[in-house]
Amino acid sequence: MLMYIFKRLLRAVVTLAIIMSIVFVLLRQMPIEGYFPNYDKMSRLQIESGLQQMGLDQPMPVQLWRMFKNLAKGDLGTSRVYRNNVPVMEILKPKIPLSIKLGSLAILVSLLLGIPMGTLMARYRGQFFDHLGTGFVVFIQAVPAAVYYLFIQLYGTTALGIPMLFDPNNWKMWVLPVLSMSLGNTAYYAMWLRRYMVDESSRDYVQLAKIKGLSQNQIMFKHIFRNAFVPMIQYLPTSFLNTVIGSIYIESLYSIPGMGGLLVDVIKRQDNTMVQAIVLLFATVGIIGLILGDLAMVALDPRISLGSRKGGR
Amino acid sequence: MENKILEVKDLNVKFSLRGKELHAIRNLSMEVYRGETLAIVGESGSGKSVLNKNFIGLLDGNGFISGGEILYHGLDRTEPLDLAKLKTEKEWMEIRGKQISMILQDPMTSLNPLKTVGAQIAEAIKIHQKLSGNDLKQAVIRLLEEVGIDDAPRRYGQYPHEFSGGMRQRVVIAIAIACQPQILICDEPTTALDVTIQAQILNLLKELKQKFYLTIIFITHDLGVVANVADRVAVMYAGDIVEVGLAEEVFYDPRHPYTWALLSSLPQLGVKGDELYSIKGTPPNLFEPVVGDAFARRNPQALEIDFVEEPPYFHISPTHKAKTWLLDPRAPKVERPRYIENIRGVGRR
Repeated sequence: MLMYIFKRLLRAVVTLAIIMSIVFVLLRQMPIEGYFPNYDKMSRLQIESGLQQMGLDQPMPVQLWRMFKNLAKGDLGTSRVYRNNVPVMEILKPKIPLSIKLGSLAILVSLLLGIPMGTLMARYRGQFFDHLGTGFVVFIQAVPAAVYYLFIQLYGTTALGIPMLFDPNNWKMWVLPVLSMSLGNTAYYAMWLRRYMVDESSRDYVQLAKIKGLSQNQIMFKHIFRNAFVPMIQYLPTSFLNTVIGSIYIESLYSIPGMGGLLVDVIKRQDNTMVQAIVLLFATVGIIGLILGDLAMVALDPRISLGSRKGGR
Repeated sequence: MENKILEVKDLNVKFSLRGKELHAIRNLSMEVYRGETLAIVGESGSGKSVLNKNFIGLLDGNGFISGGEILYHGLDRTEPLDLAKLKTEKEWMEIRGKQISMILQDPMTSLNPLKTVGAQIAEAIKIHQKLSGNDLKQAVIRLLEEVGIDDAPRRYGQYPHEFSGGMRQRVVIAIAIACQPQILICDEPTTALDVTIQAQILNLLKELKQKFYLTIIFITHDLGVVANVADRVAVMYAGDIVEVGLAEEVFYDPRHPYTWALLSSLPQLGVKGDELYSIKGTPPNLFEPVVGDAFARRNPQALEIDFVEEPPYFHISPTHKAKTWLLDPRAPKVERPRYIENIRGVGRR
């Protein structure tokens, strides 16, 4: 098991290196004009010295090697455009906890809402609550997120009587962004949990549980729910990613000084080191999500044993 | 043999399918006697499983009892209980497991793959007895030993995928008998197992039947299994029992043309070169009302009356009866197929 985790982490590092190289190469394809706000007025010499300053004049492999060497030392580089000559770490430091808090709250809320919702939908299948839930799921899946994000902001701020501008110390300010970000995952969890529970309830072992004399509710929670939850685990990484993607829009919508809004900003302004650092962080979150999903799967399903040669089923 | 435990009277079961009604069990009457093994045989779709699902309240959602009674004479009851009248899950919970239990066909899927075998058996015991902790564990281990699982304390904590098919079926049996039911319904319990394991499971069932004084209803289409386990045999066709009698009577002196056909299609070892007998045609469409003898259209020896009027039961002996006009004194004498005269000596105990 430990061996397996170690191998997975090693592979994660390789994956990250590949992602970083691709992003790095892509960034270097950007037009040189983008680096200098007043490119037209600059002389050839000025431009060359500028490029030299940024290390952009050297061949690509050399630049790439230098980046990895710095990364290995834990140095993410310094920002040049966003805030001149400030280390990237220093810029991101206050922003990371904010984004993590927002993201984890959103995932927590969607679990707390989505799981009971899916369970109830499966329990009262074909009845009023099931239809109501299906309506919600369809709505969330069909309507572009940006549309209901805007409506939530518009009506929510009025209802709660709060200003549009974000203030991290006022808990009321967290309600709307967290809710907006959790809705997509809530619908996702509810939909899949309902589906898996309905699948499970037609299995033979459920019939045997009935034959034993267990009540409907006992069967629902001790057997069906538990078993339906295992395949749900595979959606954990996706929901991590959804949250990251959601944060990009939500944070700029509520002007939350987190990482999500920042990415769009620094790409536009061609601040290469900042882009690299943020991509690295997001990619790490995604990969950790994947590894966590697999580990949770092992913890919940005895038929899967990782790393052993015997094989599972 | 007078001690009835289950009495089915004029039972009718229908399914509503796409706006039409399928008459799956047609006016069926039967008795099950305490302590016997009754085998119900018949081809697929004859209604064997549907019939038995009524005894434990597991009829599919679109099926319903449209008439008749299922009287259960439990040992601890003075009045018989009409199972056909039970409506709620709560009422059924009193019956399931404790009074009537069931073994399903496929042991590979009957156990929850994510729970240990021990926990799944414990769950069944807990419903009946107030046991917990080590007492409960000991009870489970005793039960595992009872059904012939070696090394029970270690097996207790294992998951179903660590058991072979035969072993899993033993676990399922342990669950089924955990609450000491009076009737055990076995729905083709050996069909999914290979032949050597089949014999072991059948022997185990026989053993447990003696030990716990179980009444067994055995659903199967395997006549070899029937000969091995059954005291009495009921032959089902198109939702009704066409012939019922002691196992010897049905095997050696079958009277219904369908029973003849069924016995003829039993492959025999050592008979080479002959083509296997198969019954021509298909069972009647139960969406339409059946007129006359349901088997008439597939019966080469059918009489004219078979197409007009349904035959009543004719008694051959006090224990043996069949629903065919051939047994009417006015009927012409029809030779039963030569082939089944050789059945003697096949699969006897």
